[in-house]
Amino acid sequence: MLQTTRQYTRTALMAAEVVLKEMAVDSFIMFTIVIQPLIIALLGLWMLRDRPDAAIYVVVGSGMSGLWSSMVFISGNSINAERWTGTLEMLVAMPTPLYVVTAGRNLAHVMQSLLSMIAAYAVASLFMGYALDIDHPLLFIPSLFFTVVAFISFGLIMAPIFILSPAVDQFKNGLEFPIFVLCGFLFPIALLPEWTTPFSYLLTPYWAARALHESAHGGGDVGVVLASWAILLLSTVIYVAVSRRLFRVILRRVREDGTLGLA
Amino acid sequence: MSIAIEVQNLRRVYRASTSILGREKKEIVAVSDVSFDIKQGELFGLLGPNGAGKTTTVKMLATLLIPTSGTATIAGYDVVHQAQKVRESIGFIFGGERGLYWRLSGEDNLRYFASLYRLDPSEAKKRIPYLIELVGLKGRENEKIEGYSRGMKQRLHIARTLLHDPDILFLDEPTIGLDPVGARELRSIVRDLQSEKKTILLTTHYMFEADALCDRIGVIKHGEIVALDTPQNLKQGVQDLSVIEMEVYGIGSEVLDKLRAQPHVDSVSLEDREQKQALVIQSSHGSEIVQDVINNLNGYRVERVVVREPTLEDAYVRLVGG
Amino acid sequence: MQRTTTQTGLLYTIISNLRMFYEGSRLSYIALFHWLRPSTYLASKIIMPLNQILFFTFLGEFSGQNTRDFYVIGNAVQMAAISGIYGVTMSIGGDRWAGTLPYLFGAPSSRLVMFLGRAFFHILDGAVGVIFGLVLGVLVLGLDLSQADPLLLLLAIIAATISSSGLGLLLGSVSLVTVNVWFFNNTLYFLLLLFSGANIARDDMPAWMVAVGDILPLTRSIEAARRVAAGGSFDDISGLLTVEVLLGLFYASFGFTFFRWIEFQARRRGTIDRM
Ligand SMILES: Nc1ncnc2c1ncn2[C@@H]1O[C@H](COP(=O)(O)OP(=O)(O)OP(=O)(O)O)[C@@H](O)[C@H]1O
Ligand SMILES: [Mg+2]
Repeated sequence: MLQTTRQYTRTALMAAEVVLKEMAVDSFIMFTIVIQPLIIALLGLWMLRDRPDAAIYVVVGSGMSGLWSSMVFISGNSINAERWTGTLEMLVAMPTPLYVVTAGRNLAHVMQSLLSMIAAYAVASLFMGYALDIDHPLLFIPSLFFTVVAFISFGLIMAPIFILSPAVDQFKNGLEFPIFVLCGFLFPIALLPEWTTPFSYLLTPYWAARALHESAHGGGDVGVVLASWAILLLSTVIYVAVSRRLFRVILRRVREDGTLGLA
Repeated sequence: MSIAIEVQNLRRVYRASTSILGREKKEIVAVSDVSFDIKQGELFGLLGPNGAGKTTTVKMLATLLIPTSGTATIAGYDVVHQAQKVRESIGFIFGGERGLYWRLSGEDNLRYFASLYRLDPSEAKKRIPYLIELVGLKGRENEKIEGYSRGMKQRLHIARTLLHDPDILFLDEPTIGLDPVGARELRSIVRDLQSEKKTILLTTHYMFEADALCDRIGVIKHGEIVALDTPQNLKQGVQDLSVIEMEVYGIGSEVLDKLRAQPHVDSVSLEDREQKQALVIQSSHGSEIVQDVINNLNGYRVERVVVREPTLEDAYVRLVGG
Repeated sequence: MQRTTTQTGLLYTIISNLRMFYEGSRLSYIALFHWLRPSTYLASKIIMPLNQILFFTFLGEFSGQNTRDFYVIGNAVQMAAISGIYGVTMSIGGDRWAGTLPYLFGAPSSRLVMFLGRAFFHILDGAVGVIFGLVLGVLVLGLDLSQADPLLLLLAIIAATISSSGLGLLLGSVSLVTVNVWFFNNTLYFLLLLFSGANIARDDMPAWMVAVGDILPLTRSIEAARRVAAGGSFDDISGLLTVEVLLGLFYASFGFTFFRWIEFQARRRGTIDRM
């Protein structure tokens, strides 16, 4: 049991390494995790210039947008890329379960997409001279950690769906901006009509953004932050549990349909 | 000797969409009813024309496809219900270059797959250089795969599939696209594996390869096994035949039809080689009909007429129809 | 050669050019349609654009810099660039992916006509996209168009789609020689959000940003649409729209020249098949 865990951890880390080596200089990834969030950050910085805490708010918010875009586009694309190159089929027939590999790959994608936040931070502080203080670092860092964990496990839900059919690809364009709107990355959801609030509450990225904003420049309300952590953790647990089932069902399904490789 | 692979009434149907919109589904019976056993340490060849269902069979055995019906066990484990156990005991190659990480080096590919095959890093450290040497990639292992030739990628696949030293191997057209020297080297690796008492299921389109390597051969056609025996016995089945080969020039299909209509002619095939053509005729009357054939080729240039014993290829051609 | 063209020859030329135009637009429409299967259409052409409008409008509202209508109109007109940039590029670059480029270069009929034909449906499609955006604005975001003359608004919308399709034709030509088309397209699209005045009033921009906006499509049509919404007349926008269309034509002709140059190079070096 312990040995298996060690082995799986090692394999997952190696999968992460493979992702980073494979995708190091991909222009699509550069756009998704650097250019787009950075342009959003510049727009945000300019538009919110009259607000005192604008800079750190925008850095966190645009960073979240990069994290989410990467989730939608890069995780999905990387599955399809493996389908084209024939390695997806290989992975399925390996003795290591696919969710272990996927977790490692998601780790790489999520860590990589933290670059959005870092780039926005660098631009705002170095080039535009904003003072960027994080008000409550002791709350912020765990918030970031729980966010990363929640995103990685959400990726475990996305991956099997992308494995099921390359056609899912068509929908991903429609998954990006709605989350930006509903999750309060760059403006409070109080601006939205009231009936949308329950939807925001159901979305994990909303709580991630909430914890990060609250600890970076909000009041640092410990209650709010702790509650957000609890929800992030709960989501993580749910995602992991659901994904195990989903992987089982979908891997069986693709072996029945013969849609793993290219026909 | 115990049975390593047991296949019973295996059947696999694909549902493919025929229209762009994917509304109409068509059923393709890729494997209709296949049964065979492979003994431990045996090298079993699966031969058959394109689309006969070889790859589909192998994929079902390698746990990549679930059979529509029928059962298969590998080392005693069921390929559907004990897929995990099966995966630990097998290695597989699907001929060609796909299935590798192109932007990684050969060695990094092996390191990754070693970990997927659950090898300990210390084990992998010893095994990888050994395998790189074995498949003749020494000195190139640190280059990225994208710069490898086709043959190099196929060798890397061989190394990959031997990482966890599996007892059972599925080799689907391992020599496809290799140059003659590369193919010969690969066959010698397969022979070594054979002498290590690995159980091997090999598919190939090269009859001499099958003849030279296989202990037994199953011939599959339209998803069904039409013959299953040792290469010797399969050839025995066509002992009554002789094969007439001649070099001819400028022959068209109407001449072939005329030849096919001749008494005692079993099959006729024509192959283009440079400017000339090779005409191959199978007949149970051997040299007796040579004169008849030549008479029928009146007006065409005919050279180098040879009457020879049948080979495995002739047996194969008779079985699958040529 | 042209001198000897007889009456029937001229008619023939016109008809064959019309056919070419039709063929070009039909092909790009099919490509478009393929791209836009109902689910993709829903995701890429309705959900994404509308949410993009929502996102930037709420961001703008949060900033309190301008009225809500300012952002709704700016971002709705920006939707023209989705068809203009992505759609047109795809219908030109698509030949490369489909391997039909050699046939295209080999075709004897007027390349310009075919080239423009490829943009035609995207201009229509883009206009529809902007109208969707404005309807959303009115229904959900309380956009006030009561002062607006619908015809003038339509003119502004068409100008926006023409100018962004012009840029798309240029990008499409560039896409024939680069592998990073999507990187350029995406980046450009997002830069438009920054420079066109959709989200930042041009009065607030530093001079260099204004200058960049001046040479980009959309800037003037966004301004024109805002004027129309405020009750402006034809005279208020005619100047803006003329320049906007000319800008589009400039990009298109630049793209066409580039296209011809690539064709020439490819023929000279015999590299057409390899493109
Ligand atoms: N994923 C799939 N979906 C639909 N049909 C398929 C699929 N894979 C294979 N087939 C069909 O099943 C039949 C058997 O294919 P298979 O690949 O098993 O043949 P094969 O014997 O390996 O042929 P070859 O010698 O060409 O490799 C063919 O008709 C093929 O078109
Ligand atoms: Mg095959």
